[in-house]
Amino acid sequence: MTTKDLDASTRAIVIDPGVTLKLRRAGQDTGTVLWRDMIRTTRQPEMLAFAVVMGVFFLVLFNYVFGGAIGAGAGFDYLQYLLPGVLVITALQGAQQTSMGLAADFNEGVNDRFRSLPMNQSAVITGRTIADALRNIAGLVLVALIGMLMGFRFSSFGGAVVAIALAIGMGYGFSWLGAAIAAKVRQPDMVGMLSMFWLFPLMLASTAFAPVESMPGWLQPLVRYQPISVASDAVRGLVNGIPVGDRITLTLVWIAVLLVVFVPMSVRLYRKVS
Amino acid sequence: MATRGSGPVITAQNLRKTFGSVQAVKDVSFDVEPGQVLGLLGPNGAGKTTTINMITTLLQIDGGEATVGGFDVRTQPEVVRQLIGLAGQSAAVDEKLTARENLELFGRLYKIPRNERRRRIEKLIERFDLGAFADRPASSYSGGERRRLDVVAALVAEPPAVFLDEPTTGLDPRSRSELWNTVRSLASNGVAIVLSTQYLEEADRLADEILVIDRGEIVAQGTPDALKHDLERDVLEVHVVDRTDVDTARELLGLDANVTTDVEARRIDIPVPGGADRSLDLLRQLQDGGVSISNFQLRQPTLDDVFLALTGSSVTETEEVTT
Repeated sequence: MTTKDLDASTRAIVIDPGVTLKLRRAGQDTGTVLWRDMIRTTRQPEMLAFAVVMGVFFLVLFNYVFGGAIGAGAGFDYLQYLLPGVLVITALQGAQQTSMGLAADFNEGVNDRFRSLPMNQSAVITGRTIADALRNIAGLVLVALIGMLMGFRFSSFGGAVVAIALAIGMGYGFSWLGAAIAAKVRQPDMVGMLSMFWLFPLMLASTAFAPVESMPGWLQPLVRYQPISVASDAVRGLVNGIPVGDRITLTLVWIAVLLVVFVPMSVRLYRKVS
Repeated sequence: MATRGSGPVITAQNLRKTFGSVQAVKDVSFDVEPGQVLGLLGPNGAGKTTTINMITTLLQIDGGEATVGGFDVRTQPEVVRQLIGLAGQSAAVDEKLTARENLELFGRLYKIPRNERRRRIEKLIERFDLGAFADRPASSYSGGERRRLDVVAALVAEPPAVFLDEPTTGLDPRSRSELWNTVRSLASNGVAIVLSTQYLEEADRLADEILVIDRGEIVAQGTPDALKHDLERDVLEVHVVDRTDVDTARELLGLDANVTTDVEARRIDIPVPGGADRSLDLLRQLQDGGVSISNFQLRQPTLDDVFLALTGSSVTETEEVTT
């Protein structure tokens, strides 16, 4: 190392970057974090495998164990009903992984390094949510393919693409909920437990596995309008080529609500310095 | 740029930090000039990491102020972050990434242009001998390799101010001395360095100026030599033939608690304000009392002696309890 190499006077310091430069750098930083998280994704294939295995587990369990009971009574092919719900739930598993990944960053101490760097701090979260959404696409396509091997039929390619996009979108919205939990709690174990608290009730009290009509009357309104239900219904309509009514609109509304609430909240919690 | 030729690169003035009811840092002030190494010496929990985290924008400053390159840490953290490199306890690397990828990651986040970045990374890998493991994920590294990458990651931006928080804790002697060389070469290139350590030897060897810090307060400050000199007494180190003579010697001389004895090593350390004359007296007393002395030397106090005198507890003892 020569003196010249470390001569700080040759360095350009940005004192007042202005809005344009700030935004451009925020974009750059998000891209950098995304690049980093994609490398991590390829080094941890078990993350993707876990999401897919959970999806397949639900497909097999519900189709072969409960399929007869639920489907036969209603007089329809249960697999055609089930797969859309499983796609949505697989996407939400990805959201849980956003939570776990960010908590791991806090644990490993790499977040402290990030916080000492001249970078846009929310890029750490944004980059990760995008990386997780990309991994989710792979997971959903794999689950869909396995569903097709089990006998599932998409009514149209276009419908399948829009349906998967909606499921990914809902997963993305929940990624920010996961990010907020991770930024608040910062302990991987606690984050894992808290994720179960929102994921399981939402998942089971939804139309992902069974039609709302089969549930008690007092529960029906809650189930009908909760995010996993509206997304499951929207995806189900699209892949089966049946009318979706208000379901796509409601899905988009839910995604918007999640983003409006949890993007600022998780960024604020992440930046919070004791 | 503001750091050039205009005094200290890093300043801290009356820094304070409270966690709940605990005052982690009470009143810490110092300046670090270009090319200077400031050693923060103290046991675990003394407030070293908290001090560093405040100046590196990781923790809010509760009271006092800090500047880097003339920029206020509180009001211009974005600028300060462009001027610092942080390594050690709190600032880790990404374990799933290789050394090369980690350096690329941090280089990009520092906004170093692509070609310049590539050039610097290759140079750093070569200079700090990371080549053998540069393309393996960091999770597979040995402790020494990991620490080296930690420190190098702080240097990608060639910052004028570098903070090393206990960079050698848990390292084997060889890795430790390699890191020492790294620190020296940084300082000789004009980088201002704040180095925290629990190791007296490390502070003694590397630091131009030492802050002895205990329970959030500076208990002594000065060059290693000045600190030793401030004790205004040499240490007479006596080795005896029989282990039982260690206690005999203690009784003979009526020594107070300030004297450290080591029965296993058959050694007695006696602070001697009077220097040579007083030492001869003491040795004669021992001889007359029938203690057979195998060896003795009159030496300057070590930093361990200094710390013992200042805080009433040894750094090394505290370290064993807490780690």
